[in-house]
Amino acid sequence: MTRGELSRSLQRAIGTLGRPSCRRPIPHPASRSKPSPSRCLSTTAARPEELQVNEVQEKFTAAAPIDFGRIPGNRRNVLAALRVVPASPSYFSAKPTFNDDYISLCALLRKVATLPTVSPAEAPKVAWKTIEQYRIMTNEPVKNQRYHKMLHILRRLNCVHPSLMPQEVLDAMQRYKKETQPGDIKPAPGVVDEMGRAKGVGRRKTSSAVAWIVEGEGEVLVNGKSLTEFFGRVHDRESAVWALKATQRLDKYNVWGRVSGGGVTGQAEALTLAVAKALMVHEPALKPALRRAGCITRDPRKVERKKAGHVKARKMPTWVKR
Amino acid sequence: MIIRHFAARNGPRALARTAYQQPLRRFFASDVDGPNTSPEHNFERQINAQAEHIPSLNPTPDAEQSGLSVAEQYHLYKQQQQLNGRLGSEITEHYQPHTLLSNPPSSADVTLELLLASEAHQGHATPLWNPANARYIHGIRQGTHIISLEATAAHLRRAAKVVQEVSRRGGIILFVGTREGQDHAVVRAAQLSKQYHLFERWIPGSITNGQQILGRCRTKVVNEKDEEVTGFEDQLYDRPVLRPDLVVCMNPLENYVLLHECALNNIPTIGVIDTNADPTWVTYPIPANDDSLRCIQVIAGVLGRAAEAGTKQRLEAGEKGEITYKPAHNLTLPEAEETAAAEKEKLGEEKEAVELDNELAAKLEDIANHDGRRLGHRVKHSA
Repeated sequence: MTRGELSRSLQRAIGTLGRPSCRRPIPHPASRSKPSPSRCLSTTAARPEELQVNEVQEKFTAAAPIDFGRIPGNRRNVLAALRVVPASPSYFSAKPTFNDDYISLCALLRKVATLPTVSPAEAPKVAWKTIEQYRIMTNEPVKNQRYHKMLHILRRLNCVHPSLMPQEVLDAMQRYKKETQPGDIKPAPGVVDEMGRAKGVGRRKTSSAVAWIVEGEGEVLVNGKSLTEFFGRVHDRESAVWALKATQRLDKYNVWGRVSGGGVTGQAEALTLAVAKALMVHEPALKPALRRAGCITRDPRKVERKKAGHVKARKMPTWVKR
Repeated sequence: MIIRHFAARNGPRALARTAYQQPLRRFFASDVDGPNTSPEHNFERQINAQAEHIPSLNPTPDAEQSGLSVAEQYHLYKQQQQLNGRLGSEITEHYQPHTLLSNPPSSADVTLELLLASEAHQGHATPLWNPANARYIHGIRQGTHIISLEATAAHLRRAAKVVQEVSRRGGIILFVGTREGQDHAVVRAAQLSKQYHLFERWIPGSITNGQQILGRCRTKVVNEKDEEVTGFEDQLYDRPVLRPDLVVCMNPLENYVLLHECALNNIPTIGVIDTNADPTWVTYPIPANDDSLRCIQVIAGVLGRAAEAGTKQRLEAGEKGEITYKPAHNLTLPEAEETAAAEKEKLGEEKEAVELDNELAAKLEDIANHDGRRLGHRVKHSA
């Protein structure tokens, strides 16, 4: 061996010793199996890139095509296409929201006009918004007459037969209904407790009465005393148990009543109402009969107050000519 | 088995057949003796019994559908309509009133026959005429003027062209029809073309005193595709009130104030001019009968269709990126405003930060000085 050759081989050996063991990536098996067509077919000298066939080729996707329509950041282009227009087709009426509502309701009515209807008395009871509430909602000076025209259409829409009422009509009507409807809050119905008692409360003038009714023989106790003891007047005794008398159930129920306030007759009338309410808990079907007997309505009359310039509520001092 | 519509299916003679097939005879022995056993009574009773079984030609609904609810009856009715509704002769080419509104005619469909059928030629009594309309009148019949339909057609087509071009150029077109019954036509024309309508009384001053009357009504900013662009609410608040670029009036006699305001503000108008109306009130008169709803529906329909065509052209141009209208002045992009505001905030923050640093430095100096005084070791920092 010549010196040059030895030194070259030595250099190579020393070089490999010194180099850290580099982990070469495992070449892709496909790249090995793929024949490089350029090497097979080309007669020219191999290019340097083709020698590194076993290198990994990462997958990539090209950039998106150029959008020549929008030039980003070009303010003049965007502003050049803008114009100011009214938001509603009813802009020039000065009441756009109201007119749009009216038009949409008319269109809806035309759509459902052929559906079967019920009479207005049988249609579900609805509390529609008052004109003041509607004006507040839309912030527009809507005229009375026109609002009532719209209410007329709403009432007609409400008369569509409930079994065939479309959901879109219900959704459209909801906007014009008051927040609380008449049937929303239903008072809890009275119950007969485990001892068979039902309670009723009644008031008249400044008297209030509470009555408990149980099935019994017809005994009556008012404030611990019997009916004849408590009420000296026969009329008052009768009116206290009028609800039972009118329905011929005097001998079927016992009454235990507690009254306070006011005078004798006021207390008797208060008991009427209390006994009637308690009886309705036992037998709800008696309501029409009791109404005919006049036991259901709470008598709203009370002592009228005295006014300035009058001697009493109505009485005026003697008129003097001069 | 109960057979319904027996007579309809088998003919009225079938009824007679059943009567013969069941001769009168007694069925029960208990019927023989008793107070009601006279031959006439029995005869009547048997006739009545049979009458119940004979189906009538016009059955009452209660008898037939007693078992069905209202919804079921309705669906049954709809089914029968679908099956049997098209029976009978087919009538084509006849007047269907609703089509004037649901599918209005276009300018090309305007014929003299259509205008005649819509009573567009009917003028008012001759003493009530406005002589300025003499050029549009064809003649007199039974004491009333007859409007020349050629003039009507020509003026209507011209008005349609004007409306189409204004719409194509992004103009605001107001369709006005304040008489009873004209509201549907006017609303429909505005709907077709995405323009504006008025069917209640015009509030005087809506143009001359617009800020007071229309100042509260909402406006919006749209781009070339008619899509709303948000972010301009503050700028819209300060902008002047919008005015129509063209007003189409169906009853000019009742809308004198509106037409006067338009004339004062250089807004062109189109109007349906009857023989007693003043043609100089409007820029483009259409001599026709303003008292006939059908005529108004035809005219509003034609102009609505023309505006629809113009809108369509504008939107198609917008899709390509061409702007056919004048853009709004003095609008600034909300992003530019935002960046300006952000920059201001940043400057403010920087100033505050600088101030804080100064304060902090001053406090540190104080502390150091205190320490120095207490301990007596530290050297005072120069401020």
